[in-house]
Amino acid sequence: MIDWKLVLEVIGILIYATFMGFIFMGIERKAMARIQRRVGPPIYQPIIDTLKLLGKKESVTHGFIYDFGPVFAMGASIAALLFLPIANFQLFSSNADLIVVAYMLEVPMLGIMLGAMSSGNPYSAVGVQRGLLTMVAMQLPYGLALIALIQHWGTFKLGEIVALQQTQGWSITVPALLLAFIVFDIVFQALLGLEPFDIITAPAEISMGPMVEYGGKHAALLFTQHAIQLFAETAFFAILFLGGASNLLELLIKQIAVLFIAIFVASIYPRFTIDQAAKFFWKWPTILGIIAVLLTV
Amino acid sequence: MINELLIIIFAPLVAGVIAWALDIKGLRELIGIVGAAVPLAYLAKLYPTVISETVDYSLTISGFTLQFQLNTMTWYFATVASLVGIAMAFGMASTSKSSYDWLFALMSFTGVVGVFLSQDFISFFLLWELMTFASFMMVLRRNRHESLKYFVLSVIGAYAMLIAIGILYAKTGALDFESIRQAMYIDASLGTMSTRETVLVFALFLTAFGVKAGAVPLHVWAPGAYSETDQSYTTFFSGALSKAGAYGFLLLYILMGYKLYATLGTFHGHLTFAYIIAWMGAITVVVASFLAVLQEDIRKLFAYSSVGQVGYILLAFGVGSTLGLAGGLFHVLSHAVFKGLFWLVTAAIILQTGKTQFKDMGGLARKMPFTFAMGLIAVLSLAGIPPLAGFASKWLIYEAAIQAHMPLVAGAIFLGSGLAFAYVVRFLYSVWFGQRPSDLEDVKEAPLPLLIAMAILAIPNLVFGVAPGLVTEYLNKILGGEVVGGDYYRLVTPTGTYNALLVTIALVIGIAIAGLVYLYGARVRKIPVTNTYQSGNPVTEEFNLSIRRNFYRPLAEALEFWLKYSWDRFYERLAGLTEDFADSLRQAFYNGNVQSYSWYLAIVLLILALWGVL
Repeated sequence: MIDWKLVLEVIGILIYATFMGFIFMGIERKAMARIQRRVGPPIYQPIIDTLKLLGKKESVTHGFIYDFGPVFAMGASIAALLFLPIANFQLFSSNADLIVVAYMLEVPMLGIMLGAMSSGNPYSAVGVQRGLLTMVAMQLPYGLALIALIQHWGTFKLGEIVALQQTQGWSITVPALLLAFIVFDIVFQALLGLEPFDIITAPAEISMGPMVEYGGKHAALLFTQHAIQLFAETAFFAILFLGGASNLLELLIKQIAVLFIAIFVASIYPRFTIDQAAKFFWKWPTILGIIAVLLTV
Repeated sequence: MINELLIIIFAPLVAGVIAWALDIKGLRELIGIVGAAVPLAYLAKLYPTVISETVDYSLTISGFTLQFQLNTMTWYFATVASLVGIAMAFGMASTSKSSYDWLFALMSFTGVVGVFLSQDFISFFLLWELMTFASFMMVLRRNRHESLKYFVLSVIGAYAMLIAIGILYAKTGALDFESIRQAMYIDASLGTMSTRETVLVFALFLTAFGVKAGAVPLHVWAPGAYSETDQSYTTFFSGALSKAGAYGFLLLYILMGYKLYATLGTFHGHLTFAYIIAWMGAITVVVASFLAVLQEDIRKLFAYSSVGQVGYILLAFGVGSTLGLAGGLFHVLSHAVFKGLFWLVTAAIILQTGKTQFKDMGGLARKMPFTFAMGLIAVLSLAGIPPLAGFASKWLIYEAAIQAHMPLVAGAIFLGSGLAFAYVVRFLYSVWFGQRPSDLEDVKEAPLPLLIAMAILAIPNLVFGVAPGLVTEYLNKILGGEVVGGDYYRLVTPTGTYNALLVTIALVIGIAIAGLVYLYGARVRKIPVTNTYQSGNPVTEEFNLSIRRNFYRPLAEALEFWLKYSWDRFYERLAGLTEDFADSLRQAFYNGNVQSYSWYLAIVLLILALWGVL
């Protein structure tokens, strides 16, 4: 009855994704450091950070929801990951399509916000407000990019989108989808929470926003969640626009390529204020997105 | 033996009248709940019959034949309404202290169920008016201005419908749906009804049903009417009564769909008339959701949100494919259960705290844990978090809109769902979390009947979320074919799949893993809300650390240009102008000057003379 191969695959991918997610975070820090002519921390630094946080002697809590928020966020990230076709491992991807995955990738945000809100800290509240407004702002271009993609390939299934790209060329080679790609890449910056859209955490402005109250094992959970989310989102990008991958190495190269674009953009742009971000998202990315969807009708 | 259909329709009204006449505390609640439970019991009993054949009943009164029918579709709508109705009755047992409320709440229950079961325009219109009147009376008691706004718009809608019925009757000579449908079908090829008349009838029906559904720009009554009444009643008002509008649009498809297609043709591959409905829905979703985000009152927030969610239903019906209809019908159910639940939670909050503004609330999660849990279910369902009913229906609408190649309409759903996230979080934050104002220290959990009511609506949210196939299987029967495939747990459309059970399992596994990491970590120590980071400064109870006012100020600033225009103000101004005009008419003609009256007489005589009568 139980499909042991699938179970092993799931466990393997989860461990791999968490590990690689941490490495991606490390790459991010290292690359940022090199751009500013610093040496930077070793590439495995985020793993050490997380282990340190887990080893704290005591954590504080503001109640049940405060604990549940990060747990729920990480759970949702794991669930989202399981519905993505990771290279040649299909996992559960035939059971949920693009819309479901796109939604699942947003659920962790709700978990983090839920926990942050229950702390009652004003910085958290400002962070939550900014986070939701960023989400509202980016949702329209994000949706348009996905719609263009679906209309072009004529299917919602991620597995089929990958298969079609293997035979007919990557999404970005189609002119209309190239526009969608540009839109998605701009939105991606906000999805990862990097400059110029790192409005949610905004370390220098509102001292980490939603995460301000979290320490100890809660912070460790959020770090791990971020690692998994980073892996899932870069993989999602590669699946949608870069033709997926037939093995983990190929996927890794594409993920790192996507990540580097994000890092390069992030390291040279300062942060938008929230109303600037809203106005920006509703202007150029939306116009490009509308052109893209109209070209693919 | 009285016919079952009559019992279904009139049991609530009878119970309402009895409860009103007796007016004994305790007894009236009991009678009301029983009266509200009867339709659901009978509908459940008739379920096996309905799926194979229809149940008909007709009755002749004053020369008109009233026909009622229970078929797969009317059963669905009636059951959704009855489910919300019974929750409303339980809720009202806690929140309502007068027999007046019971009479009119149950009267509108009768009206709504009757509208769904009617098979001819006479009973449809009569019950439609009964429903409008009863809901108007519910609002009238609390706020005259808002109730009149609702009444005037409803009257405009109802009489637009009456004119449309008149035109249809003149053209077809029939009043029952079946004959009209056939006549319209034949007329599509004969073309005796001109394009202009068809468009007129369509526009009149759009107005009539648009008012009830709260489609922009006819939505202005909704925020006021939904908030200025007993909140338990709003469960029914927004959960079921607004569905009468959605049902009306469906009726338009059934009666005139083919005729409208033949007359108006297609627009870029979409049915033109449906495309208009789809855009109405899309605009409603976006406008109402934006306004919901900016509200400062808990009732107003949900009122706008309700308008927005009904917009999803119109949008889905407007997609024009059977998948779109399936999505819309599913959303009828899920909107009824999650929005009904929201209003019950609101009712509980208002009952226990007596406050409606976000600025007065906070930190209630500790004091009302069960209500909070129910509110959380409603939040997750409305925001479309996967294993809940709200997601399944929204997913179908997404699939339908994108498959039908309506990219901009589908874009509106994406924007709307982002906004939905934003306003439910506002509700969560301001009401449940943060510091508790000192005057809310002795707030208690909601009373038992209200908790039962919440549970009645929370269970379908969970069950139909994990097993959406239960609903879609029935919807396939309504739509006559395998529109949405799969089994109980899995939805399959031609281009996509959603396995709700597996998503649930994955989420549970994920949370379990995360929970293990959490448990592995060190012990936690609980600290009070005021023991918090405030740039390293000490905080005491006197500081208000929760942001309760203008939470989404930056959004309001970004939208400054658009917020300058308001339909509400437009209608108020129009009403003011009409009033002034009526005033000046009165003063000009009835001026008290005898000579002017004799002049009127002279003018009339002159006209008659010119006409050649004299």
